[in-house]
Amino acid sequence: MAFVVLKNLTYLYPTSEKPVLRNLSFHIQEGEFVAVVGPNGAGKSTLCYALAGFVPHFFKGEISGEIEVNGRKSSESTLDEWVLNVGLAFQNPFNQISGAKYTVFEEIAFGLENIGVPREEMKKRVEDAMSLTGIGDLADRSPYSLSGGQQQRVALTSILVMRPRLLVLDEPTSQMDPIGAREVFGVVRKMAEEGMTVVMVEHKVEWIANFADRVIALKEGQILLEGSASEVLTSEALVENGFGVSRYTSAAREAKKKGLWKKERLPVTLDEAAEGFNLTRNA
Amino acid sequence: MKIAIDKLHFTYPIGLEALKGISLVVEPGEQVAIVGQNGAGKTTLARHLNGLLKPTSGSVFIGDWETTKFSTAKLAARVGYVFQNPDEQLFSRDVVTEVSFGPRNLGYAKGKVDELVERAMALTELNGKAEANPYDLSPAWRKMVALASIIAMDTPIVIFDEPTTGQDAVNVARIAHVISELKREGRTVVVITHDIDFCAENFERVIALSQGRVLLDGSTREVLGQEDILAQTYVEPPQLTRLGKRLGLKETVTTQEEFIKSLA
Amino acid sequence: MNALGMYVARESGLHSLHPLTKVLLTLLFITAGLTLPGNWTGYFIVAFIVFPLAFWGRVVSNLFSATWKVSLPFAISVILIHGFFWGEGTPVFEVGILSPKWEGAIFAAISMGRIILVMSVFLLFSMTTRPDALMITLKQAGVPSSIAYIIVTTLQIAPSFQRKALTILDAQRSRGLETEGNLYIRAKALIPLILPLVLGSLMEVEERAIAIEARGFNSGKKETSLIEIPDTPLQKNIRRIVIFSIFGLIVLGVLWRL
Repeated sequence: MAFVVLKNLTYLYPTSEKPVLRNLSFHIQEGEFVAVVGPNGAGKSTLCYALAGFVPHFFKGEISGEIEVNGRKSSESTLDEWVLNVGLAFQNPFNQISGAKYTVFEEIAFGLENIGVPREEMKKRVEDAMSLTGIGDLADRSPYSLSGGQQQRVALTSILVMRPRLLVLDEPTSQMDPIGAREVFGVVRKMAEEGMTVVMVEHKVEWIANFADRVIALKEGQILLEGSASEVLTSEALVENGFGVSRYTSAAREAKKKGLWKKERLPVTLDEAAEGFNLTRNA
Repeated sequence: MKIAIDKLHFTYPIGLEALKGISLVVEPGEQVAIVGQNGAGKTTLARHLNGLLKPTSGSVFIGDWETTKFSTAKLAARVGYVFQNPDEQLFSRDVVTEVSFGPRNLGYAKGKVDELVERAMALTELNGKAEANPYDLSPAWRKMVALASIIAMDTPIVIFDEPTTGQDAVNVARIAHVISELKREGRTVVVITHDIDFCAENFERVIALSQGRVLLDGSTREVLGQEDILAQTYVEPPQLTRLGKRLGLKETVTTQEEFIKSLA
Repeated sequence: MNALGMYVARESGLHSLHPLTKVLLTLLFITAGLTLPGNWTGYFIVAFIVFPLAFWGRVVSNLFSATWKVSLPFAISVILIHGFFWGEGTPVFEVGILSPKWEGAIFAAISMGRIILVMSVFLLFSMTTRPDALMITLKQAGVPSSIAYIIVTTLQIAPSFQRKALTILDAQRSRGLETEGNLYIRAKALIPLILPLVLGSLMEVEERAIAIEARGFNSGKKETSLIEIPDTPLQKNIRRIVIFSIFGLIVLGVLWRL
């Protein structure tokens, strides 16, 4: 039995005219790291809200189909129960600061206070989570005094510390410097290795290919493609539908036309590209 | 219009020294990208260009105007500044009114305002959305409205703060198109970005900042080829530059065109 | 940024008092100022109780400047109203139709004593009480979490609101909006500044609600807290006495006025 099951999910916001998610179905295994890509307006954020229980419990609107996590149906659960298993961090880090705390350390502890973790355990968990995401040096800073990228790390840590079974991330690295973003992908990969199931919306194709197990390409609320990173992210269909692709892929596609790329499959990562182009150069 | 920055130091009132002696000149019509890690001083530097911040010491000249002698509202005639978050500036009931706000503030004649607004909206592909309420548009289109509202001010210098953050490939291509049009018109463009591939494809000069100082400044190829130095400010070379290095190409490549050429 | 009435982080005996003790003392001082006889009681309490406490709490200068800033607008309006529009009495001076009266001025001064008392006591409380400690205390005292959260974030949100307002100001000035100059120019600048602030704040409220919900805010579990709020038997006894005194003062105050 898959850990996350979406069955024919269709959803319409109360104020919108057409559904944002249309008859969406997929399965995710426990401990799998799935990346979701898609153009603006594809329904990526709405999908995140649906997995995290906010659609429809918070946003209302019309919903049909089923969302199941760990054998429990969202429709038969309350939001308050749901969030104990599913963690969500979204794009704008500023609005994720609780506003009730002085320091980053206290901010990260906020969620643990809410769910009644004993004090000593709480401190330990906050420290561990902060060292995992590399923000130990920010412990005593005010969350408001941080840069956007740093706030995004705090937002992510605030959710990781709660140890959700399913982690849902909506563009968690958008304001980070490039190397910082790659580090976060590494942290998320590690969480998946330890058994956390991850769904992450991202534009950074190269890191998706390096770190995610599987990719879902979403377009107008439906799945356009689904499969391994190298299958999905090299597909011609992505270019035609306005998805971002890695520069390795587009360079190899161009090179292939000129006979400078010999392999069948196009590359997504640096390693794949280097391997393939070396064949050309050594030929 | 020339930008001349000389020995610029800036310390925030809380005591944080964000810029520690920056000197550089941007010639009229240049396309410059500023890169560097979070907290390197990119935004602080950009905010000096239209007088939102004034130097603690040193000077910033926009053409013959020293920024300390002019208000931001006055400098707006020379420097347009596109903020990162469009929601922190949109307030009009429809897109046309929003886009006209800047040029009207600058006191252009009615006919000129209309002409500028129309051109800016065409450039940002907003034609069909003139009557829409900006808040009914998607975030991606709101970004384009913010872009148009600055471009319509017809300033010789335009600054973009993280234009591609949260944008999809189609919108990034639109923004790249806008920048190339501004270049064609001879306007200076300065962009702050983390998106190094975007930077490689659209800019001819790159300035890397680190801890309030200029770490590297030169042609895109020169700067983005220096992987070790860039790493000091958490920046990685573009994908194809890294690939070129890995393949042992003799010259640094930054764009697909260069890459393919050097393969053949 | 240290806006008015915001917490000032210091190590002091006053800071380490239990928030509930401070809530009750605050109420006691205000009740005393409003019920005890004597026109100058307010000033007396401010001078001999509130500021010595502020000294103990190491926030004298913060309290002084904040009280001054907050009370000044009141002082001006009270003096204008009572000073100049007092009916009969001894004039201080006469210039045309302007003839402020001594009686009015004295009445204004008496009223100001009460205003300054209330302001300074509230400010002293918020300067020396961590909002999160207050939140825990409120919840322990049976206030629902959501209300405690709203109270605390309202105290805390000023700096973030201010930062947003400044960003909007910067964005619009960059579009050539004049914000300095005569009243007309300033009035015209209001809409482009206020509308994004209001709309942005509405959007922020929704996202913030999602963010705290996602962190188990309504989980229904018994909450714990990271920080300990030390309490002592002495403080518990003091609180009993304070509650008793507040009721006593109210009763006495009513009796005196009968």
